[in-house]
Amino acid sequence: MNAIEVKDLKRQFKTTIGIIKRKTKTIVAVDGISFDIQNGELFGLLGPNGAGKTTTIKMLTTLLIPTSGSARIMNFDVVRDADKIRPKIGFIFGGERGLYWRLSGFDNLRYFASLYYVDSESAKKKIPELIELVGLQGREKEKVEGYSRGMRQRLHIARALLHDPEILFLDEPTMGLDPVGARNLRMTIRNLQSAKKTILLTTHYMFEADALCERIAVINKGKIVALDTPDKLKRAVQDLSIVEIEVFGIPPEYIEKIRAMKFVDNVAVESRDQRQVLLVQTSKGPSAISELVEALNGLRLGKIVTREPTLEDAYVRLVGGA
Amino acid sequence: MFKKLQNILRIIGMSFEIEMRQNLTDGFVLFGIVIQPLIVAFMALWMLKDKGPDYAIYVVVGSAMTGLWTTLLFNGGNSITGERWTGTLESLVGSPSSLRVVVFGKVLANVTQSLLSMIGCYILISLVMGYPLSLSNPLLFTASVVFTVFAFVCFGVIIASLFILIPDFQRLQNTLEFPVYILCGFLFPIALLPGWTTPLSYILSPYWAARALHGAAQGTLDTNQILISMGLLVLFSVMYLSVSGILYRIVLRKARVDGTLNTTG
Repeated sequence: MNAIEVKDLKRQFKTTIGIIKRKTKTIVAVDGISFDIQNGELFGLLGPNGAGKTTTIKMLTTLLIPTSGSARIMNFDVVRDADKIRPKIGFIFGGERGLYWRLSGFDNLRYFASLYYVDSESAKKKIPELIELVGLQGREKEKVEGYSRGMRQRLHIARALLHDPEILFLDEPTMGLDPVGARNLRMTIRNLQSAKKTILLTTHYMFEADALCERIAVINKGKIVALDTPDKLKRAVQDLSIVEIEVFGIPPEYIEKIRAMKFVDNVAVESRDQRQVLLVQTSKGPSAISELVEALNGLRLGKIVTREPTLEDAYVRLVGGA
Repeated sequence: MFKKLQNILRIIGMSFEIEMRQNLTDGFVLFGIVIQPLIVAFMALWMLKDKGPDYAIYVVVGSAMTGLWTTLLFNGGNSITGERWTGTLESLVGSPSSLRVVVFGKVLANVTQSLLSMIGCYILISLVMGYPLSLSNPLLFTASVVFTVFAFVCFGVIIASLFILIPDFQRLQNTLEFPVYILCGFLFPIALLPGWTTPLSYILSPYWAARALHGAAQGTLDTNQILISMGLLVLFSVMYLSVSGILYRIVLRKARVDGTLNTTG
């Protein structure tokens, strides 16, 4: 039995435009996606902002009703059997919301323990363990409003684990964490995977998805554009090389010029301090450098390197660049 | 069955505690609970200092009930809006607990806090002004207070569902405040209202609460009449609770369809 089964899942939202002549506009957030997640699998859902990742998770966690299609969690339907699903799942949504800021972290956990029917004796044991697991010991009696963003995120994680759920939905769990905190959380996720938990993870960090996920679905504009293991997704771009060119201030017309070059498959731009790095995917390899440099004539360039494609490059190709 | 009841009582208890603690750290709510009732109690008793104690207790009970209703409508309703804005409404709905039970605990906290504050304020001010308030039937009055709390909480559970259903229900809050004062006879008898409003009053449990409290405080009703009022008060409250089960199912389904559990959709 699969832990999660999603078939032709679709979700639309209606919004109104205008003040006097109000028009209703329908926005398709998730557009007929299908996938299965096996028991104990760590499955990644990757996509740009607004791709439909959070909407998908909200449907699977019974917080939104799909417009059409179906989703089953441990063979229970997310619409009809919400009451049976809720005790078996834990979820966290990225960001700082979803906590009681005027209460301490400890009291937040006490409250959610009661909401998840964790009996008082178990809660007394479990809460300190989780506080230690997420590294909040010594600060647990302080009000959440005084916590840093990372501390709040860690409190969310402790909350999601209170009732020892069989399935976890983690929507950008490392967002806002410092590198050490993010690394510790990745270790926690790995431990949960070792404990045979089924995990659906969304993240913007490709290395994170590459390191953790057994399979990844790439979602863009509400549709799944690729679904495979990280290695197989990377193989899809193995015909390409990546030319990285450091540029100090690049106007948009230069990017479009490069994008239009015949041998260029895709272009993305990353900002790094005062400079940008132009990531050009090309099948031409290092021999493309001279033509690219010529196209960037007039701009101040820095280091130029050619490298093998990563999962991030596969992702950029699938979702269409920056 | 016993385990289920135990869980319900625990969730009510925890929601009660959490709401109380949150209110006690909110300056605006504290003003409404401590300072405002002191001012209202002082003004009411100052105006009534030359009237007889029977009339005074009528106004004191009536104004306390209006305060209770205002607290219920504003603090109870706003707490749902607050949960939506802070993103905790999703966490509550996504948990295995019934949101109706959670809301019951929250409303109970608001009503209890407001009631204790008002009782304290009226006693304090009447002592300071040397104007003791006397109750005709203290035992029945105390019993009526307990049932009144139950009635207000059950009514509050119904009202809170409107805040879940309609995200900007706050806009309509003020329009609900006075009709309930008037229809429930908090400050003057409903006999003064047009006849067609009487059935409306009869189906509102706070009306029976006001009748029992006024009757027990002033001695204008005999024991049987007070007991009948209390019985009807309980009957309507239980009916509200039963209806709220279906109502919450409908409201939560609608919120999940419309995507209104969170302000960010």
